[in-house]
Amino acid sequence: MSEQSRNHKKIRSRFRFQDSLLGYATIFPATFVLIGFFGYPLFYEVYASFTNSTVGQPGEWIGLANYSHLFSDPSFRAASLNTIIYVTSVQSGKFLLGLAVALLLSQQLRGRNIWRALVLVPYALPGFVAYAVWRLIYNPDVGSLNIFLMKIGIIDSPIAFLSNPEWAMPAVVVATIWKGFPFWTIMFLAALQSIPKELYEAAATDGANGFQKFKHVSLPGIRPVILIVFMISTITTLNSFEAIWLTTGGGPGSATTILPIFAYKSLTAFQIGESAAAALALVPVLFILVFFVMRKLKKD
Amino acid sequence: MKTKSKYSKFSLYLAVVLVLIFVLFPVYYMITVSFRTQSSMFMNPSFLPVDFVLKNYRAAFTSEQFGISLRNSLLIGIVTTSVGLVFSVLAAYSLTILRYRGRDTFGRVIVVAFLTPGALLFIPLAVISANLKISDTLHGLMIIYLSFVVPLGTYLLLGFFKNLVGELEEAARVDGASRLQALWYILLPLIAPGIASVGILTFTACWNEYLYALVLNPSPQFRTLPVAITFLQTADETPISLIMAYSTIAAIPILILFFVGQRFIVEGLQTGAVKG
Repeated sequence: MSEQSRNHKKIRSRFRFQDSLLGYATIFPATFVLIGFFGYPLFYEVYASFTNSTVGQPGEWIGLANYSHLFSDPSFRAASLNTIIYVTSVQSGKFLLGLAVALLLSQQLRGRNIWRALVLVPYALPGFVAYAVWRLIYNPDVGSLNIFLMKIGIIDSPIAFLSNPEWAMPAVVVATIWKGFPFWTIMFLAALQSIPKELYEAAATDGANGFQKFKHVSLPGIRPVILIVFMISTITTLNSFEAIWLTTGGGPGSATTILPIFAYKSLTAFQIGESAAAALALVPVLFILVFFVMRKLKKD
Repeated sequence: MKTKSKYSKFSLYLAVVLVLIFVLFPVYYMITVSFRTQSSMFMNPSFLPVDFVLKNYRAAFTSEQFGISLRNSLLIGIVTTSVGLVFSVLAAYSLTILRYRGRDTFGRVIVVAFLTPGALLFIPLAVISANLKISDTLHGLMIIYLSFVVPLGTYLLLGFFKNLVGELEEAARVDGASRLQALWYILLPLIAPGIASVGILTFTACWNEYLYALVLNPSPQFRTLPVAITFLQTADETPISLIMAYSTIAAIPILILFFVGQRFIVEGLQTGAVKG
């Protein structure tokens, strides 16, 4: 055993130089892309956020003026509040629905694999298609939701869900949950499957009922997956541009304008410095989120 | 006991049916509407398949803009996925099998890039591609797409490579230039499912990408499908059933890919998220 490991060491050191050379050569293409189209843009964006740059004009260094202007801008504050409301509701919905459907589809059911495949459909459907369809579903004149609600007598006259200030946010939230919850379901299903059956049997001999088994065996078993999925999915939801742009466009008024929409609108107004600052405003939130999840994962 | 289990079985299946209606209705509705005409939709609002006219599909396939955009989307998806796969396989190989100074830093940068959303970077990317004179071109969008395809591909493939500990050791012992041959002949066949999974996911990501395409490629001859669909709507009218026909055509390749490769995709997502 020790001789073998010594042998390994010898081989290792002999190839260390080649290792480095080949290592740098094989990582080079990816690094090139990342420096040119990830690192540099990020750096550029941070720089631009301290300037009064507009399209075609490099602008001048103005320090924190963009940020102080943003934070005193009521429409930026409204967009931040909308982002919080949108992300919190979407993520709670995805978590609850995703977990419920995963638990349902982990039962002994006939045709279970087909149901599992079909539940993936919203996830597989391109976002630009899905949100166009939801926009139609909510349409006041010909949309299926209004037709259905009027037929069963819940409402007398159609509701313009997407242009009604009270309904627009809930409507967009439901569409986003629909699109995103299957990702949670797939992940939870895999995690549930990887929990050893013996644990459930042991819990049963100890007299645990269904809910207790769920609380003490299933939930701890899928905890790491919950954390990772929560992190990845929250980051994407914080940045759901198309979910909102293709349904309400951020309206009515600014009722559904979240930060990426706000940044896009300032870019179309040619304000590079200001829109860069608006886009970067999310970064501290992302940092806190990643830090929190990583620490929890390490603890486990 | 027996009746109770029968009762709970029934409610389980009922729950499955409700979930499936919620999940599948929008897709059913999209297809139904794509076979209707605008005027019939307003005269007879219904979500049942009351019409079956092929007018919208005929309009799509005879539209020059549709043909151009379909071709653009396919080209961008295929080229970016192929180049991205080569870069990602090399990077994942490098990060798991080879030892060199700075390797862990590279690995961390990949994860950070994977977690960075496009909505954060579209502003500087618009400026940079304008400066490089590659905005509003196909190759420009391909290059920009590599910025999210490479981190995604590398991150997912890392999971697959890490599963091959024994084989990695073997391949590591091979001498010199034949190292790359070992990658080609030993490792690649073993991670073929990973490559299939990453290939499908990256092609889908390119096909579905909306924000960069909207900001960078607004000209008619360089529009991708999602942008072309957005432009169907004008200030005067929204051709609903035509939009649904375009959407159905755009969704079908992806739905087929997902169902053919479902096993690989699910494995890829799970390997990536759990082991990465």
